[in-house]
Amino acid sequence: MAWTRIAAANQLQDDEVMPIALGDTQLALFRSAGEFHVTDNVCTHQYALLSDGYVEDGCVECPLHQARFDLRTGEALCAPATRAIRVYPVRVEDGDVLVDVLVDA
Amino acid sequence: MSWSMSWSMPERAAMTAAAPFLIVGAGQAGATAAAALRSLGHAGRIVLAGDEASLPYERPPLTKAVLADAGMDGRIGIHPAGFHDAQAIELRLGAGVVAIDAARRLARFGDGSELAFGRCLIATGGRARTLPSLPPGTPHVHHVRTLADAQALRAAMAGLRSLCVLGGGFLGLEVAATARAAGLAVSVIEAAPRLLSRAVPPEFSAWLAGRAAAAGVALRLGRSCTSIEPKADGVALALDDGSTLHAPLLVVAIGQTPEVALARDCGLALHPHNGGIRIDAQCRTSAPDIYAAGDCASQVQPLAGEELRLESWQSANEQARIAAAAMLGVPTEAAATPWFWSDQFGCNIQMLGLPGAATTYHLRGEAAIDGTPRFMLLGLDADHCLGYAIAVNAGGDLRPLRALVGQRIPCDPAQLRDVSIPPRQLVRNALSAAASPSLS
Repeated sequence: MAWTRIAAANQLQDDEVMPIALGDTQLALFRSAGEFHVTDNVCTHQYALLSDGYVEDGCVECPLHQARFDLRTGEALCAPATRAIRVYPVRVEDGDVLVDVLVDA
Repeated sequence: MSWSMSWSMPERAAMTAAAPFLIVGAGQAGATAAAALRSLGHAGRIVLAGDEASLPYERPPLTKAVLADAGMDGRIGIHPAGFHDAQAIELRLGAGVVAIDAARRLARFGDGSELAFGRCLIATGGRARTLPSLPPGTPHVHHVRTLADAQALRAAMAGLRSLCVLGGGFLGLEVAATARAAGLAVSVIEAAPRLLSRAVPPEFSAWLAGRAAAAGVALRLGRSCTSIEPKADGVALALDDGSTLHAPLLVVAIGQTPEVALARDCGLALHPHNGGIRIDAQCRTSAPDIYAAGDCASQVQPLAGEELRLESWQSANEQARIAAAAMLGVPTEAAATPWFWSDQFGCNIQMLGLPGAATTYHLRGEAAIDGTPRFMLLGLDADHCLGYAIAVNAGGDLRPLRALVGQRIPCDPAQLRDVSIPPRQLVRNALSAAASPSLS
């Protein structure tokens, strides 16, 4: 486990997203219905940052071509994306959002 | 919706035993419809037939990633490898349908075989419009519609230092942008006085012309060709301003013709102007049990108040979804607001709504020529209702406006232009003002 603090919980409102850079890893931190989610920030279809996208109903829509991903599972829900985005374990502790980024390559 | 919810057991059995559903055309609309039939619970045979040998693929990358990179050819499938097997969708690729007998519900294939179908979806798309003087196959002349077209153009571009594009529409400009990025000198000849003249207002054309020029494209706007002559080493063009041009390679990008020969031959009603197969809101043609979707189809667009043939990826997907539901007799949501995108000259351009639904435009953000501009051009009709929105590198900002486009909700132009008001707030403000009109 490598829990890393990435934000204060009060930095995001519902249906908001912010980019998180951890070394070379580009992540996106979302808040949806009071819950936090962390995913890869780059769309699996083409290069675009999901942190520039649109968050609604527990999903993020890519700003480039409107591919939609489930924030909990990472599943690609509609074309043009066919591959899931990676999702990471998240927890909130003492008002901080932490992510487990110790992930295999 | 699962089919066990919508159909009784005897109906289910009847459907399973019934003649197959035939989809003619394995492009975006056809492939999407086949998948939609399965996801809606259809258990019977589905036959997906197409003229091209490739598995169904996405066309948007043909003028962009595929033209730039041979490594993309195998990565543009509409569905993942193995999908059609897993979904029991029978593919008949390479020798598509050559005739349909609508009354007998019979299709004949290029190899002479026949198939009796229960219902049929025609999704034959379109083909690149050609010039009589430059028929397909003319050396040094290219069109882009299929993967094979894009591969041929890519191969031809590899040895060249310049090319010329005839047509300043989306396709022509995307080819121009990709060729320019690959280091070729590029000229674009457009007969209209401005770029994308049918799709965007003049102020947007002007910005895009600036962006293309800054990228090094030589634009020849408002110029038509007085003569076009194939030569041994290219194509010789004479323009109506007296200038001449030698193009070692000419890309003809002057639009698309709907592929409706099958439909015409079997007696389906076609639109007198746009040439498309006329369909109703459920994608039904004039013949029972025959449906149509995609670039070949002409359908009333509520936003524009007229029947249009939309040549777009999203419209193909939407019509495919709606046609599949109609073929199965199950309800589905109405078509989403028309949406279109183009990637060119380092910019992602998105359009929501239809140009015919707006008369005045308001700029939100700064339409810079250089760098990575981020702005929207928001088009209102006479009642200040949002009918058409164009976003440059601002897809995330455009997305919330779906709640307004075509919804007959007046917007305050000053608010639309004010970038300090987030797009979601704009929508909330407009909705609440509409709910209490006395305050506006």
